[in-house]
Formats: sequence, structure tokens, C-alpha cells
Amino acid sequence: MRKERLLLVLTMLLTFVMLFSACAAPAAAPAEGESSDSGDAAEAPAAESSIQIPETVDGKFNIAFVYVAPIGDGGWTYAHNQGREFLEAEMGDEVATAYLESVPEGADAERVIRNLARQGFDAVFTTSFGYMDATETVAEEFPDTYFVHVSGFKKNETNFSNLFGAMESMKYLAGMIAGARAAEDGSNRIGYVAPFPIPEVIRHANAAALGMRQTCPDCELDIRWIFTWFDPDLERQAAESMFDAGASVVITGSDTPGPVQVAGERGMYGIGYDSDTACEVDPGACLTVPYWHWGPFYVELAQSMMDGSFAGSDIYFDVDSGALGLLGFMEGQEPMAGVPESVIPQVQDLLAQMQAGDFTRFNIFTGPINDNQGNVIVPEGTVLTQSDLEGLSGIEGREDCTICMSWLAEGIVPDAQIPE
Amino acid sequence: MTAQSRPRTSRIRFERVQEQPRWLMFVSPIILIGAALLVGALLLSLTGANPWFVYQRMAQAAFGDRYGWSDTTIKATPLILAGLGVSIAFRMRLWNIGAEGQLYIGAFCATGVALHLFSPETPAWLMLTAMAIAGFLGGAFWGFIPGVLKAKLNVNEIITTLMLNYVAIFWNNYFIYGPWSERGFGLTPQFPRNAWLPRFTDFGAAVPSFRGLTMHAGIFLALIVALILWVVWRRTKWGFEVSIIGDNPQAARYAGVNLARKIMIVMALSGGLAGLAGMAEVSGVVHRLQERFSPGYGFTAIIVAWLAKLNPLALIVVAYLFAGLLVGGDVIQPAGIAQLLQGVILFVVVGGEMMLRYRIRIERS
Amino acid sequence: MSDSYALEMRQITKRFPGTLANDRVDFTAREGEIHALLGENGAGKSTLMNVLTGLYHPDEGEIYINGRRFRFNSPGDAIAAGVGMVHQHFMLVPNQTVAENVILGLRDVPFRLNGRRIEENVQAISEQYGLPIDPRAKIWQLSVGEQQRVEIIKVLYRGAQILILDEPTAVLTPQETQGFFATLDEMRRQGKTIIFISHKLDEVLSIADRITVLRHGANVATVDAAGMTKPELASLMVGRPVLFHIDKPECKPGEPRLLLDGISALDNKGLTALNRLSLTVRSGEIVGVAGVAGNGQRELAEVICGLRATTGGVIDIGQNNVADAPPIVVINAGVAYVPEDRGAVGTAPNLSVAENMALKAYRKPPIGSGLFMDRRLMREQAAELIKRFDISTPGPLTPVRKLSGGNLQKVILAREISSNPRVIIAAYPTRGLDIGATENVRNILVDERSNGTAILLISEDLDEIFALSDRIAVLYEGEVAGVVPGEQADRDAVGLMMAGETPEAETAPAVTTPHTEAAPS
Repeated sequence: MRKERLLLVLTMLLTFVMLFSACAAPAAAPAEGESSDSGDAAEAPAAESSIQIPETVDGKFNIAFVYVAPIGDGGWTYAHNQGREFLEAEMGDEVATAYLESVPEGADAERVIRNLARQGFDAVFTTSFGYMDATETVAEEFPDTYFVHVSGFKKNETNFSNLFGAMESMKYLAGMIAGARAAEDGSNRIGYVAPFPIPEVIRHANAAALGMRQTCPDCELDIRWIFTWFDPDLERQAAESMFDAGASVVITGSDTPGPVQVAGERGMYGIGYDSDTACEVDPGACLTVPYWHWGPFYVELAQSMMDGSFAGSDIYFDVDSGALGLLGFMEGQEPMAGVPESVIPQVQDLLAQMQAGDFTRFNIFTGPINDNQGNVIVPEGTVLTQSDLEGLSGIEGREDCTICMSWLAEGIVPDAQIPE
Repeated sequence: MTAQSRPRTSRIRFERVQEQPRWLMFVSPIILIGAALLVGALLLSLTGANPWFVYQRMAQAAFGDRYGWSDTTIKATPLILAGLGVSIAFRMRLWNIGAEGQLYIGAFCATGVALHLFSPETPAWLMLTAMAIAGFLGGAFWGFIPGVLKAKLNVNEIITTLMLNYVAIFWNNYFIYGPWSERGFGLTPQFPRNAWLPRFTDFGAAVPSFRGLTMHAGIFLALIVALILWVVWRRTKWGFEVSIIGDNPQAARYAGVNLARKIMIVMALSGGLAGLAGMAEVSGVVHRLQERFSPGYGFTAIIVAWLAKLNPLALIVVAYLFAGLLVGGDVIQPAGIAQLLQGVILFVVVGGEMMLRYRIRIERS
Repeated sequence: MSDSYALEMRQITKRFPGTLANDRVDFTAREGEIHALLGENGAGKSTLMNVLTGLYHPDEGEIYINGRRFRFNSPGDAIAAGVGMVHQHFMLVPNQTVAENVILGLRDVPFRLNGRRIEENVQAISEQYGLPIDPRAKIWQLSVGEQQRVEIIKVLYRGAQILILDEPTAVLTPQETQGFFATLDEMRRQGKTIIFISHKLDEVLSIADRITVLRHGANVATVDAAGMTKPELASLMVGRPVLFHIDKPECKPGEPRLLLDGISALDNKGLTALNRLSLTVRSGEIVGVAGVAGNGQRELAEVICGLRATTGGVIDIGQNNVADAPPIVVINAGVAYVPEDRGAVGTAPNLSVAENMALKAYRKPPIGSGLFMDRRLMREQAAELIKRFDISTPGPLTPVRKLSGGNLQKVILAREISSNPRVIIAAYPTRGLDIGATENVRNILVDERSNGTAILLISEDLDEIFALSDRIAVLYEGEVAGVVPGEQADRDAVGLMMAGETPEAETAPAVTTPHTEAAPS
């Protein structure tokens, strides 16, 4: 009987844990009562509440978004949700949207995506790499529904596309700004918070290093692998350790503005990521943010779906699409206070070329490029292919990479390695 | 010692209710679930939502059509298996709270078989049998460790099983980020098709109504195990011995039952079933090993087993109700509200259970 | 209501499904009175006392203490009203000290315990009432008799004015019982009201002021002890005249069935409990083990049954040495064991009567076959045993915790004897049983012995030892101090040996040394 009571206490404890973990979740997501769905007639029963239940709206083209984090994460998911709101604003007459946030990757994702398709949504956008297989599976089961997966590489011929963009172009410009700043500070050292040793991240870090060398040939780029996209603590710690090692600017490749905050606390500079709000934590310490502006692409995709021209494809946009941004340099923006005067025209000029489509990711990754050990990786005159950039091999319908994105560019500290 | 010397205090006391009517045992869960839903409704109205509408949609999502049932079954499968696992140990008053870790190790071993030990061309029946055995043995081993420590050194199994959860999860993380990783992400490559437990939808060509039902053969495994355990408790010598030990270990020893051996076997079996749950989950649903593939099934299983009062057949019902709560919660946004609701319902059910078993009195002296 | 009673229970009625446990019982006790409560098992004594201690709510009836009406919702209420009970089954935490157990469950324990003061208080109570105990000793290190003292101290510490003592002398030696009676006298002198539940009519007559007899849930008589006789009381309890004599056919000992040779073992404290003990029990004889509690009786039984490790010596059952063999080997060799502690060792309280009866038999046919067991047959056999041993229970599926002490003992005996054992180790088999049940158990043992079973009877009741034993072995400090034939045994000589004194030749002519006796005759 004594032990029985012990078990009871244990059960209560577990229940408490579930309860508190549940409480923690809404705290992370600022109340988003002004959700654009709330005006929809079909959701009237829950209309005045912050609670919503995703449902289709008759007579409209219904698109559901599946998010990996709460929409209030201030980063990746926030940017996608802004894209969704942009879509609603642009096409609200014809399109209705709904979203599901904090959907875990893996088994639950497949179930959630399938249920959305089954509920009658005309299209489902899944916005995390981990949803790739799930999206592919469900796309096969529901040929009449459109699927767009962001940041992966799978597709089919008819109703399933992948979507991603050349953030490396913007990282290149960010590297130029950071290099100029470090040269002016005399530190000659920059840091990069790298989430995972995958081609996407390596590509971005390499682009930043190459850009940095344009404005500061003596600068070195330090790098910390944190193995997470979203961990405020770890991101801060990584930034702190690189400032400790002498960096005067830290660029983050992960989702929270923590590193920018740390920069402010240190009297140094940071460069954020993902969303145009990433500088707001400390504008004085923030040089710029390369950010996603998904809205226009969402609009374009929705239109192609509605007029039937959509076909499964690999969509990889560059700066000329208008879906990529660099805070302080886009139309109607002013460079942040910490950006050195000298580099502003240089960046503006190159950005203009990019927007015109005259300078692309392939221009960045054109030989000669050495790795951080001094070995020649891209010989003079060679240009990396799209597969090289994405480090793809063994994928049906895509050529294999030859100079795969598994090297660190010159400018990154020589003792840095790609972890196994 | 006397009334005069007592300080004036109020305190809450728990006193075990001595005589609980038998009917209450069966009726109480129904009353409690009703009360829990009422409290949840109150919470929902506070947020401004219409609770009836939310509940209706949750029920619709979980049990409204065959797809809902399929999804709920998917969630119920690991809960049943792991719940049966812990209930074996609980019957003997061995508090195995390491089902989560045992589930992870089971999944790990099954993955090892599917990806590294057997060739992808291995016939499905052989592959799946081997994976199930590996999953079971892996979980059994993870339960056996605290079992040995308990039997031989009398180390408290609550501590060891709890701690081994973390070891198991870190062990898994090492492999899925390291040697078994796909592109450095926290997951292994997908299993070959032969290592997938057959799903209903796989027979969609023959039975059209099965199309899109992703529930897998694991549920049959779970039901068979439940049935076997039901027979074991009611009909076998082995089950009888477990119930003697559970009631009075000294009497069991006196009656010639080998306590140490039984502790080790029961802990191993308990872990083995949790391991089987892990195997079923990776082979039937996730089709690969990945980080956090279990949203705490091993812990929820403890609550399920407890509320089912360790009865294998009642456990199926409770597991389905829980699974329904989880599946139904998916439709509510923001996600935190659903989790909060689940937490509140659980809290009321478990707390109410306690109220029924113990009388709470506030005393003033 | 009348003020002259410290306790008044009026028209108490308590029903359980299928039984009327208390039927309009009146019970009163005065301040400074020892009031004995007599009755057979199932007569309703426990129920009445459980009502008084707040464990049960009476369906009807009222309780007055010092003229004030009380309604007890929990044991806590009863304690607060000054009612304390010392149960037959102790409720102590084995891993804690005496002092810790005494304050356990107390309502007003300060957050920071003053260990020394509590120990001093315990010491003071123990001296005041003559209950010697070391407040720092751990419970598991104590003998049953010592544990009982802790229980009594616990109740006194809580300031009880009305003490209920359930079978208190059952666990005591004759000498201890004398000391205990002195304690009771002292408590009576200090104005406590003592309700004394017992089956030992001699004791009841010698200590009690008044006696209440319950039968079938009703109060059949409340009488002054002075002037009552044993047979009168016994017939009041049983409802018919009782014979205080056991017909025992002549002893025809056969081959030795249990041979102990130089057995040594340690007790729970790690001290020597058995010291090179040798003893033989033959087919068809009862060997009684007499001795003061704590001289190795418990260890002797446990060692034989494989429940305690030996530190030397040989145990022979049949032909093999089974010292340190697991219990199952001993069980399979045909040794039945009626353990000292029926609740904690002999039964699984929440399992049914049928299951407890099959606690050993489930392994073998006819109940067990292969992996399975036949529960229907188990129930049928249980029903037969219930009839054969006259066990009062609602049915074979009733959990044994609901049975009274005597019926619990009958369940154990039924189980052990139905296994057709070659040897029976019976430790305190009639402790706490009423007259009818005791008679019953004794007859069962004698029948078994006459059928050729070898029986080792361990008992604190010298009357029982003398009445049943064919030979008597006296245990003193883990050794057999002497063995005397039952018929010629002299009480004084045995008493001396129990006290550790070697009897002189002329007072105990029949004494033999263990070793000469050990040779089969």
C-alpha cells in the first residue's frame, strides 16, 4: 500500500510535467489573436477566441501551412507566417489559408499532412526539411492536392514541388558588411553560428567567408556547430565563445536573434537571420539581416495552382525573384547605424546587379576557390553546378554533384572542420 | 501529548478510504472522464472558444471516421504495448518507469537489424520477425539491467529505470547524429520496404476501403499481447506467482517462489514489451530511427496502465481514449492550447482517482 | 447518559455483505478497569473494536466516552478522543527505530525532530509502565514480544486513556506474561481503562475485573470475573460445554524424517541464534520445542524451511542435506510449514482464500499442469477445505485479509496439511485462536501425527506443548538444553531449562542429551 501510494504520486508528477510543458508552449508563442483566419465564416464558433481549428472555406482555394515551430518564434516560422499573411492580403478574395504550428517532424507530421489533404485543402505547404518524406508520401496518395515542401530536394512530376532560394547570395553581401566592420574594428575576425553540418549551412557559411574576403582580405571566419536550428541558449553560448575568441562580428545561421543580443551586450556587432524583425532586439548592435520574403512566391505558386500550370519541379530562386531581402538595403530601407560608410555603396551596387539578375549564386561560387587548408577546390574558370551547391548525389532526375558542398572555403579559420 | 499542548494549526490529511464499494471501481473512470471534460470546457470557455464545438471537432478527428480511427490506432499501438509492459512489472509492485528508454532501445535494435544487419532484400517476414525479436530483446535487456540490480543488490528500481531512460535517449542520439546518420540530421536513412510493418493502406488495391488507412500490423501484435497477458494472469502458474509476489513477497518466498529470478524475468519482459512498442513505432510508422520519435509514449503508458488498474483488456480501452485525446488535440491551434487541455483532463482524471481512493480532510485543532 | 462509565457503546450494529458482524451490542467499561472481551473467531470482537477505533462506521448505535457522544470518522478521531489499540498484527516500520516508530503518524510532530527528547520520553514511558525497550533499536531487530511493547508505548505516547489490547499475551513467555500483567496492574492503578481481548481463559480470570462474551455478533453476557470458572466461560463462548482434554493415541514413532545435526545460524542482527543445534523428529511423533521467545525458535523454523542461511551443520529430510537449499526444494521434499507470522509470511492478504490455499499446490497436478493452472479446480478444492476445516468465510473468493486470525490460521493449516506432508513445522499454530479453533487445530495436528507425519511444534504455550508433544526439546540460547519425553515431563524441570539452568538428575530423570537422543531408536 505504501508503494501503491508512491506510484500514485509518481503518476501525479508525470501529469504535472505534461501540464507544465503544455503551459510552456503557449508562452513561447505571443498571442496571435489577429490571425487572418479569424474572419472566416466557417470558423465562427471559435471566431472570438484565440483558438482556431483549421478548416476549409467553401468557394475558395484553400491552402494549409504546416509549421515546425510556433509562429511567434521570431525567425524561420515567423517569416513563413508573414508570407502566409502576405498571400491572404494579396489574394484574400480567392484564397483562404490555415496553419498548424509546432508540428513535430516524423510520424506525427505525416498524419497531420494527410489529414489536411483529406479535409479537402487544395494545397499544403510544409516548411521544414524534416517534413520532406512525409510530404512526398502524402503527395503520392493525394494526386489532386498540391504540395510544396520548403528546403528539401524531392518532387514528383505532377503535384509536388520543392522550394528554396539562394540565401547564399545575401550571406555573401552580409559577409562583405561584416568584413568591412571587422577591418574597421581592427579585429579581423568574424564568427558564424552554424546549425548543422549540411550542404545548406556550409554553402551559406562559405558564401559569407567569400564575401568577407572581398572587403577584408586579412579577415578570418570562426565557426561553431551547434546541431540545432532553434535553441536560444546554445545560440547565445556559441556567439559568446566566438566573441571571446576575438571576433567583433557574429553572423548567425540559426533561427533566434540571440547572437545579436549577445553582440549588443558585448558592445560588438551581430547579423541576424530569417526575418526582417531580427534586428529589433538591439538595432544598435545589428548590422543587417539576410531574410526571407516568402510572400511573393506563395502568391506565384498559388496562382499557378489555380490556373493549372503548376507542375512538380525544383524551384530555387535567387535575389532577382524579390523573395530574398537584406535589411537596410531594400527599397525604402536605410542601412543600420553600425554599417561602415565605406562598404555601403559597394553592397548597394552588387545588390542592384543581383536584383537585375546579373550577379547570382554561381558568380559567387566561381573558381579559383581554395579551401581553408589552402587546397584548390574550384579551379580557375570552373563554376559550381546547382547540384554541387546543394551537395546532391544519387537523387533521381538530378545530376550528381562533382565538387560537392562538403568543404570549407578559404577565409574560414584553418583549424575549422566539418564534423562527422 | 495532550490536547492542550497542541499548536493551533490546520492541515490537510490523506486517509485511505477503507471500504470502497465495488461498483465505484467500474463507474469511477466514467464519472472522472466526464468531470475532466467539464473542467476542460471551463478552461476553453475562458479562452473564448465554444467548448462543445472544440470537443466535437476533437472527437470527430479521433473517432469520427475510419481515418480518425486509423490515426488513433496508430497512437494507441505503442501505448498498449508499453502500457502492458509496465503493467507486468506493476503487478509485481516493481515500479518500472523506464518504458521510454526501453522503447528507444527496442527501436534502436530493430533499426540495427533493418539497416545494418540484414540486407534490404531479406524477405519481409524474416526481416520483420528479426526486427521484432531484436526490439524485444533490446528492451528486455534495458529492463533486465535494473532487474538484476534490484534482485541481486536491492537497488531501487525507480531510480535505475528512470536514469536509464536518459542513457537510452543519449545512446540513440549518438547513433542518429553519428554513425547511422543521414546527412548529419538526427535521423537514419529510411528502412527498406521489407522492413515496414504492413499497413492497411498497403492492401488498398484489394480492399478499397483500406486506402489511406495507415494503421499498421502493430495493433494486432498489441491486441495479441494483451490477450496473452489476460490469459497469463488468469490461467497460468506464472501469472499466479507474479500476483503472489505483488501482494506479499515474503509469502511468495515462503511458498517457494524464486524471487530474484522472477524479478529479473519480469523486468526483462516488461522492458521487452516496451521495446516491441519501439520496434512497432519505427517499423510501422516512422520507418526510420530519428530523434524524439516517441512523444513520451513510455511515460504516458504508466498513466494508462495505472488508470486501467493493470487489467490488460481495460488497458486497451484506456489507451484508445488517450490516443484519441492526442489525435484530437492536433486540430486545435495554437498547439499549446491542445496540450494544456490534455494536461488538464489528465490531471483531473488522475487527481480524481486519488480523491476516490483517499479521503482528504482539512483539520483544525 | 450515565457518567460512571469511561466508555459506553450502545446498540452497536454493523453489517457486512452477507453477515451481521455486530448485532445491537452494548459494551461498557469503567475507569481503572480491565475489561476482558471474549468470543470465538468471527464472534464480532474485531468489528466492535474497529468501530471503537474509528476504522468502521457503525450502521447503528452510539459511542460515549466519559459521557460525551463521539462520532469517529477516522482512526485519527478515535486517537484524539483517547482511544488507542494495540493490534495483533503490528503496524511498525521495520527500518526505523523504536522512537521513530512511536512518533510516526503523530499529528503534532514539530518539523525539526528532537531525537534525544523523543527517546527520553519513550524511555520514561517504558520505565513508568515496566516495558523495557531500547528506544534506538531498529524494529526489525526486535522479537515479536519486544515489538508488542513498542506498540503499547506508541498508544501510551499518544495519551490514550482507553487501551484496547488484542491478544497481547499470545506472543509472550509465561515469565513475560507475569511482567506484562504487572504493567496492566500499574495502568489500571493509574486510572486507564483496558479492554483486553484474549482466548486464554486462565489469564482472563486472573487479571480481568469484568468479562464480556460475544457470540455470533451479540453480547451474550457481561459478568464480574470473580466467581467465574473456565468451563463456564468456555461454554458461554462456544455455546456448548467444552472438553479441555485431547485424546491422543499411543505414540508409535517410525523412521527419522527430520534430522538436524550441528546447525548454526545467525539472527537478523547478525548474532548467533542457533548454536550447533541437533534434533531429530521421527515419523508419527510430535516434538515440542519449548523455550522463552527469542531463543532461536523463529530461526530454527526458518532454517529448516530454507528461508534462512545456515552457518554450519546438516539438515536431512529423507536422504539429502537440504541446509541452504532454496525453499522449493524443502517444500518438494514434503515439509509443510505453519509460520509464526501468518499475515506477513503465511498468506498473501489481498489474494482470495482459494488462492492462498493453493499457494504451494498450484505447481503440481491436479491444479497445475504445464504452464497453466486450473482455477476452477482450485476453487472447488478450496470449497472442500473450507468445509473440512470449518473455516468461516463468505466464500473461497474472499480476500484472506477479511478473515479473522483464527480462520486465517485454518486456511494455512488447510493448505499445509492438504499437501500430505512428511514433516510439519508448526510455529505457534494456536496463537490467537479461540477455544473452539484451538481445539480444532490441536486435533488436526494429533490426527496428522497419528497418520505418521513427523511434527515439530514450536509454541510459547507450555500447556499446549505438554498436551501435544510426545517429546519436548527445550531451546535455550540457540541450543537444545535438553529433551524430555512428553508423558513424564515435569513442568518445573522444563521451566528451569528454559531459564538456562541444568536440571538436577532427580528432578528430571528422563532428560537425555541431544546427541544420544539423536540416534534413531
